[in-house]
Amino acid sequence: MVGTAKVRDNSRAAPIPGRQQTMERFREQGGRIAAVLPIHYPRALLRAHRILPVEIWGPAQAFTPLADSRLQSYICPLARNALDFLLREGARRVDMVLVPHTCDSLQGLGSLLLDQAHLDRPTLNFYLPRGAGDASVDYLAAEIRSLSAALSRISGRSPREEELIECVMLEEEADSLLSELLGARPRLPLPDHTFYRVVRSREYLPAEDFISSANGVLAGRTSLGAPERLPILLSGIVPEPMEIFDALAGFGAFAAACDLACASRRLYPGGKSGDPFRRMAESLLGAPPDFTRGSAIRDRVRYLRANADKSGARGVLFYPVKFCEPELFDLPLLRKGLDGAGLASTVIEAPLHPHLSQVLVPRDPGPPPRPGGVTPAGALPER
Amino acid sequence: MGPPLKCAAATKRLVTRHYLDGRYVRHYGKTAWVTSGAPVELLKALGFFVLYPENHGALCGARRAAEALCRESEAAGYSSDICSYARTDLGSLLSGRTPVGRLPRPDVLVCCTNICQTVLAWYRVLSDHFNAPLLVVDTPFLYAEAPPHAKAYVLAQIEAMVEPLERIAGRSLNQDRLKRTVKYSRDAAELWNRITEMGRRKPAPLTAFDQFIHMAPIVEMRGDSRTVDFYAAMLRELEERARLGIGAVQRERARLVWDNLPVWHQLRFLSEFFAEKGAAVVAATYTKAWGELAPLLQESQPFEAMADTYLHVLLNRGTGSKLDTIRALVKEFDADGVVFHSDRSCKPYSIGQMGQRDSVVRQDGIPALLLEADHNDPRSWSRSQNINRLEAFMEVVAR
Ligand code: SF4
Ligand code: SF4
Repeated sequence: MVGTAKVRDNSRAAPIPGRQQTMERFREQGGRIAAVLPIHYPRALLRAHRILPVEIWGPAQAFTPLADSRLQSYICPLARNALDFLLREGARRVDMVLVPHTCDSLQGLGSLLLDQAHLDRPTLNFYLPRGAGDASVDYLAAEIRSLSAALSRISGRSPREEELIECVMLEEEADSLLSELLGARPRLPLPDHTFYRVVRSREYLPAEDFISSANGVLAGRTSLGAPERLPILLSGIVPEPMEIFDALAGFGAFAAACDLACASRRLYPGGKSGDPFRRMAESLLGAPPDFTRGSAIRDRVRYLRANADKSGARGVLFYPVKFCEPELFDLPLLRKGLDGAGLASTVIEAPLHPHLSQVLVPRDPGPPPRPGGVTPAGALPER
Repeated sequence: MGPPLKCAAATKRLVTRHYLDGRYVRHYGKTAWVTSGAPVELLKALGFFVLYPENHGALCGARRAAEALCRESEAAGYSSDICSYARTDLGSLLSGRTPVGRLPRPDVLVCCTNICQTVLAWYRVLSDHFNAPLLVVDTPFLYAEAPPHAKAYVLAQIEAMVEPLERIAGRSLNQDRLKRTVKYSRDAAELWNRITEMGRRKPAPLTAFDQFIHMAPIVEMRGDSRTVDFYAAMLRELEERARLGIGAVQRERARLVWDNLPVWHQLRFLSEFFAEKGAAVVAATYTKAWGELAPLLQESQPFEAMADTYLHVLLNRGTGSKLDTIRALVKEFDADGVVFHSDRSCKPYSIGQMGQRDSVVRQDGIPALLLEADHNDPRSWSRSQNINRLEAFMEVVAR
C-alpha cells in the first residue's frame, strides 16, 4: 500500500496520512480494517460497525505472479493486481475483504476469493442493482441490511439506529465536500497530482479526517481560474499511475473536471428516508450516471457535457483500463455524443502498471482533428 | 465419426423459418430483441417475435462470417477486447450484412443480467442505436444460496415489465396463454435435458458438438409447441440410436466433458479431431445449463417460476457451483477428461477455470486441458499451438 504522502503545496491542507498510517491509527483506536474493491458500497455501514474501508484500486503492479496462476491474461489488470496483492500480503493486513459486484471481472474475483483463494480473512460480496425504480431501492436496502448482518459476525456489533444515522450523516457530509472540492478544481492552485491525492484520500481516510483535509484545501480557493493551463475532463476508472497527471502537465493541460469511477462517479447525494438502510440505498443509487448502475449512454453524454461546460474543459481524455469491457462498450457512442457537441476527445489506455511508458501515445486517432479539437498526437490546442 | 443425426435437417428448417419469419414480422407484429437468459415466456405470451442477438452471433460464427463483422465494429471504435458476440452483432448492424438476409428492427429490448453484465453494456448500445426502449431484468449474482430479497427483486422486475410490454404489444396479457407458454418452455427444457443425458450411454449416441448445433431451438424458440415437438422427435431418434448401439464417434475409446461456450468457428475441426482419436465429448456445462432448471418452470405460478428459473441459471452462480457441475458431469457421464475452453471473449464464464482445472487434476486425478480460444473471433485461435496441446492432452487421456 502507499506510504505517507505529505500534501502541503500552497493550500492550507493538513498533511494527508497514507493508507498504512491511517490503518494503524484506526486499529489503535480499537477499529477493524476492510479491504474494499471498487466501486460502490455503503461506507457508513462499515463505519457503524467500527470497520474502516480501505479501498484497493490496483495497486499498480508490474508483476503479478500469484494472480497470473489464477486469472487468464485477458482479465482486467485492476482485478489481477488486487488479487495478487491480496494473496501476497494484503489480506493479512486487514480483517476482512469486501468485493462489490461491479462488473463481470469483480463478480468473478469475488466468487474466486470465496471458492478458491481461501484467504484466512472473511470475504463478503455486495450486489449493486442495475434496475430502475422502487424495486432497486427496496432490493438495495435489503442487501445493505443483509451485509450488516454479515458484518456483525465479524465486528461482534449490531449498531443501533442512532449510530447508523450518525455515520450516514457524517458520510453524507464528506460526500458533499468531495463534490465541492471537485467543483472548485479550476480555482484551486494545486497541481493535479496533489489535488487528486486529496480527492483519493476519500478511498481510505475516515470521513471525519477527509472532511478536515478537504476543508483545508477548499480554504485555498481563488476567485480566478487557471488561465495558463488548458482545462480538460478526465474520464475513466482510476488515474493510475498518478504520473498521468505529470504527463498532462507536460502538455500544458490539467484535469479541470473528472468522470472517474474512484472520484466523481461517487458523488452521492444525500438520501431522503429516515430509515438508515433505505437512506444509504437512495444515496448510492443517486450517484452520477455510470455503467455499473446500467445508466443510459445518452445520460452519460449529457453528464459529461454538463461537467465540461461547468469546468470550462475543452476536451475529454478517456483513460480506460485494458479489458474493462463495460467502459470500452460506451466509448464510441460517448465520443460521438461529445463530438456532436463540439467537444473533442481522445483515448489512452490506462496501464495500471507503475510506469507510464508509451501510454501517452493515443490508442486510436479518433475523429479527425477539428479546429480547437484534440489532435491525434494528444496535444491540446487552445480554443 | 458415426452417422449424422437425421434431425439435422429439421433443426436447419426451424432456424431458417425463424429468421424468415423475422423478415416479415413488421407487417403483422412487434419484435423484441432479448438476451438468451431473459424470461421470454412473457414476450411470447404477448405475441412478440423474439430475436436473440447472441444466437445470431453464434450463427455468424458457425458460418465463418464473424471475423469480417468483428472488423466492422472495431473500425467503428469498438475495442477488440469486448465480447465477440457483441462485436459480431454490432458489425452486422453497422454494415447491414448478415448471413440470414435481414434482421427485424426491435420495438423493445429486454436484457437479463443473469448471464453477464456484458449484455447490459451491449444492450445500452443497442438502445441508443435503435432509439428503442430497454427493459432490464437484473438478477443478483448468486455467490451462494439466493437470498429472499434477490428473489423478490427479480419477481418485482418481471411483474413491472408487463405494463410497458402490453403497451408496446398493443394487447393485454392473457394469463392462460402465459401458463401455456411456460409449460411449453418446461416441456422443451425437460426434453432437452433428457437429450443431453443420452450422452451417458456407451457409446454416446450424440456428442456435445451435436448438442451445440441442435441447441438453437431451446435458446431462441422456448415457449413454442413446435420446439417441444422437435425435441420429442430428436429424443426418439437418439433412443433408437442408443438401442442399436450407434455411437456418434466410431469405436469410442475416451469420453470427455466440455466447459464453456463452443468455439463456433472450429466446431468441425474439433469434432473431427476428437472423433479421429476415438474421443466422444459426451457432456458440456453450456448445453446442460438449458435443461437443468426445467423443474423450476411450473406454470401454476408463472411469474414466480420465471423469477426462480432465470435467477438460478448456471452463469449466475459462483465458481464453486460450476466446479460442482463439472465434477457431477465427469462422474455421471463416466468421463476421462475435461476440456476447459478458456474463452477470451467470455470473461464471466472463464474466470475461475484455472482453479477449477487444478481441482479436477489434483484432487480428482482427471486430466484437464485449458484450451485458449474465442467463441466467435477466429483471430484468437492459434491452430498449431492448440493442435499440439490437444495432441498432448489426448495422449494423457488415452493412457
Ligand atoms: S477496471 Fe473495469 S473490468 Fe476491471 S474491475 Fe474495474 S470496472 Fe471491472
Ligand atoms: S460475455 Fe459471455 S455470456 Fe456475455 S454475451 Fe458474451 S459470450 Fe455471452
